[in-house]
Amino acid sequence: MVAPLPETLTPELVFHEYAPRIYNIARRMLGNDTDAEDVTQDVLLQVVRRLDTFRGDSQIATWLHRVTVNAALAHREKRANRQKHETGDVDDVLETAAPESEVKRWNVSPDEPVLAAEQHAIIEKAIKELPEPFRDVYLLADVEGLPNADIGNMLGLSVAAVKSRLHRARMRMRDLLAPHFEERDAS
Amino acid sequence: MTCEELMAVLADYVGGELVVEHHATVKIHIDGCAKCGSYVATYTHTIRISRALPKCGQLSAAFEAKLRAALAEHLGEATS
Ligand SMILES: [Zn+2]
Repeated sequence: MVAPLPETLTPELVFHEYAPRIYNIARRMLGNDTDAEDVTQDVLLQVVRRLDTFRGDSQIATWLHRVTVNAALAHREKRANRQKHETGDVDDVLETAAPESEVKRWNVSPDEPVLAAEQHAIIEKAIKELPEPFRDVYLLADVEGLPNADIGNMLGLSVAAVKSRLHRARMRMRDLLAPHFEERDAS
Repeated sequence: MTCEELMAVLADYVGGELVVEHHATVKIHIDGCAKCGSYVATYTHTIRISRALPKCGQLSAAFEAKLRAALAEHLGEATS
C-alpha cells in the first residue's frame, strides 16, 4: 500500500493493492477462509464506492483498517447470534504462565527479516488460539503495527484497556511460541 | 524491583514508554535475574516475529474469480 493514489480504479489494481491485505486481516480475525472472503468482498466494494473521496494512499490505509475491522466484527456478531455462544468476562479468560516457569533463551537472529514457512505456520496457529478480544488487539498492534490509540478507536476501548489486553495477549503468544523455538534450537 | 513489579511494567518497558530512571531500574533487574532476562527476551522476540508476518494473503483462484465478477458488475453499474 505504498503505491501512489491511482487515477482510475481498475479491478487489477484493486486486487494487487487492497484485496490481499484486507483478506489477511479478515482471515486472521475470523479464523476461517469463507468468512474472510465475505468480508473482503464487502470491504472491496466499499473501497470502490468511496475511492474519489480519498486524498492519499495513507488515508486509504487508515480507512481500510477501520472498515475491515468493522466488517469483521459485524460478521463475527452475526455468526455468534447464529450459534448463540456463551461469552464470559473477557478480562478473566486468558491464563498465562508467570516468569517463574522454565524458559530458555531462544536463539533466533533478532534481524531475521523473513520467516521460514514452518515458523510462519506456528505463529498463525498461535494467533488463532487467542480468544477473540485478545486476538483482535494482538493482530492490530503486533502484526499490523497500528498505534494503541487507533486500535482503541476501532474496537471501542480505552488506550489503557488496549495496553492491558495486548500485554496479556503477548504473554500468551510467548507461552505458545517459546517451546517451538526451543525445539528449533535443539535441531 | 521484584519480578512481579517487572511484569507489571513490561509492556511499557518494551514500548519505550518508561521514564529514563524507571527504564534503568528495569534494565538492572533484567541483567541480574536470569528468569526475567529469559522471559523478556522471548517476549520481545515474539513481538518481533509477529511483525515479520506477511501482510498480504493469497486469494484462492475461485475466490479471485468471484471477486473480479462482483467488482466488474459493480463498476459496470457505477459507470452506466
Ligand atoms: Zn526477576
